[in-house]
Amino acid sequence: MMFKLTPLQKILAWFFLLLLAFVNLYPIGIMILSSFKSTREIFLKPFNLPAVWRWQNYVSAWQRADFATYFKNSILVTAASIAAILLVSSMAAYVLARFEFKGRRYVYLYLIAGLALPTRLAIIPIFLIIRSLKLLDSLPGLVLVYTAGGVAFSIFLLVNFFKRLPRDIEDSAKIDGAGPFRIYWQIDLPLLKPALVTVAMFNFIDVWNDFFFPLILLSSRTKKTIPLGLQAFFGEYTIEWDALFAALNITILPVLIVFLILSKQFIAGMTEGALK
Amino acid sequence: MQKRSYLLMLLPAVALYTVFVAYPFISSLSLSFFNWPGIGPKKFIGLENYRNVLSGYMSTEFYRALGHNIYFFVWSLILSVVPGLFFAFLLSADMKGTKWLKVIYFFPNTLAIVVVGFLWGLLLNPQWGLVNQLFKAVGLTSLARPWLGDTRTALPTIIFVTAWRGLGFYILVYLAAILGIDREMTEAARIDGASELQIAWRIILPHLLPIIATTSMLKFIWTFNIFDIVYAMEGTQGGPAGSTDVLGTLFYRIAFGGLGSSQVGMGLGATVVTLIFAIVFPVSIFYVFIVEKRVERGE
Repeated sequence: MMFKLTPLQKILAWFFLLLLAFVNLYPIGIMILSSFKSTREIFLKPFNLPAVWRWQNYVSAWQRADFATYFKNSILVTAASIAAILLVSSMAAYVLARFEFKGRRYVYLYLIAGLALPTRLAIIPIFLIIRSLKLLDSLPGLVLVYTAGGVAFSIFLLVNFFKRLPRDIEDSAKIDGAGPFRIYWQIDLPLLKPALVTVAMFNFIDVWNDFFFPLILLSSRTKKTIPLGLQAFFGEYTIEWDALFAALNITILPVLIVFLILSKQFIAGMTEGALK
Repeated sequence: MQKRSYLLMLLPAVALYTVFVAYPFISSLSLSFFNWPGIGPKKFIGLENYRNVLSGYMSTEFYRALGHNIYFFVWSLILSVVPGLFFAFLLSADMKGTKWLKVIYFFPNTLAIVVVGFLWGLLLNPQWGLVNQLFKAVGLTSLARPWLGDTRTALPTIIFVTAWRGLGFYILVYLAAILGIDREMTEAARIDGASELQIAWRIILPHLLPIIATTSMLKFIWTFNIFDIVYAMEGTQGGPAGSTDVLGTLFYRIAFGGLGSSQVGMGLGATVVTLIFAIVFPVSIFYVFIVEKRVERGE
């Protein structure tokens, strides 16, 4: 609580707060309602509730767009990327937070410079590297790019978290002869779980929603991720709005579910970095 | 021995980052001196690409796209900072039951940009879109226009849609910063008879300036990444008549097709990238420097 408002000011404040909530939710509500209507109904009665709830819109969108394949690809790419990012970044962050060595500051600066680079601009060389690795049109190629792209922000967050961990347990483990990797893996990592969830959330949104890298690096239909598949679907069925709205809902459903369960971590992850 | 295992743990991150993030920028610079369609031998042409982009046949499109990027940055900055601060101030007032609003405000941020683009593309459809039907229903027929099909309104509309998706993020960042301010200062000012508006303006706003500065720098840098929203709402040509063409879409056409084979070129594309990078890099360095200082001080 930072401000004290009079009752009248509170009423005004609530008016604006609810107005913004309405502006945020209304398009999404329309998207959900429209997905249950027929195209004719969407056109002629855009504000009404569906006369009949047409679940078949979802069945037809799911089948025609081959969403099963897109979901499988998106889940594989996202899961592999997040796992790789967590492992690689937490190891590096542990070293940068705990180990004094010459040039440490410069390695850290070099890595977090990635926070402030428009990384998509570097797509030409990325495309050429992936091509020379024979990983064009493959999911592992995408995972490599996402892992590298997620490193900067994840290390930045994790170094901050590592620095807050108490050192005494580590010190006693060291006396017992535990090596750096064992200390990292057995002692620090379990303590770092909340931070890892935050980092995972942040990267989940980034990778799951990405459209640009699949557009450049993938070509065959069977390799497409959800955003790319959605684009193909919108290109093919421009006038069947019932199916288009259903397709939009299908693509946001997983994010919506994860967000509603973990909204706290989401918000923490997105704001923590920007607050620095 | 210990030192070696430490460095081994650092290696994967540094290696991946170097190959896929750092090296590509240097590689873009060296590619920019060549004429190369992407396969076959590269032909060294010196500064020819730069001449073409800055004063030759590509220059009109380049400056137009650059202008659109700057326009985009300025307006989306205004549309994030002003309402962002306003709503953050409201949320930090002594009112109960505002927690769920944060979740609602943040939600559009979790949607893929292409999803947002396609959704608003349908809502803004000139004939059947909800937006125009809404204007007609309330009697504002003059506002029922082809928002995305008119060269004067297309880019502002895309900026609005981007702001719709992004505002919640800025509200929450500013709110977190406000709540982090030492309570004693505002209390002391209140005892001295300062009004709530004075507290907001003289005490809280100055404390938020560093956060506003860094989020603005990031926004500036990210502006040059803009691609998805234009692609989803107006296509790779940045239509209508190039009125929404940004550096991202221009660069995509040059490097990956869409202009006709004679103009497709990795070298020319790399030149555009190098020029953008020259604009962005000083800001990036400055940003990283500031952030590191803050982390060092433990803020």
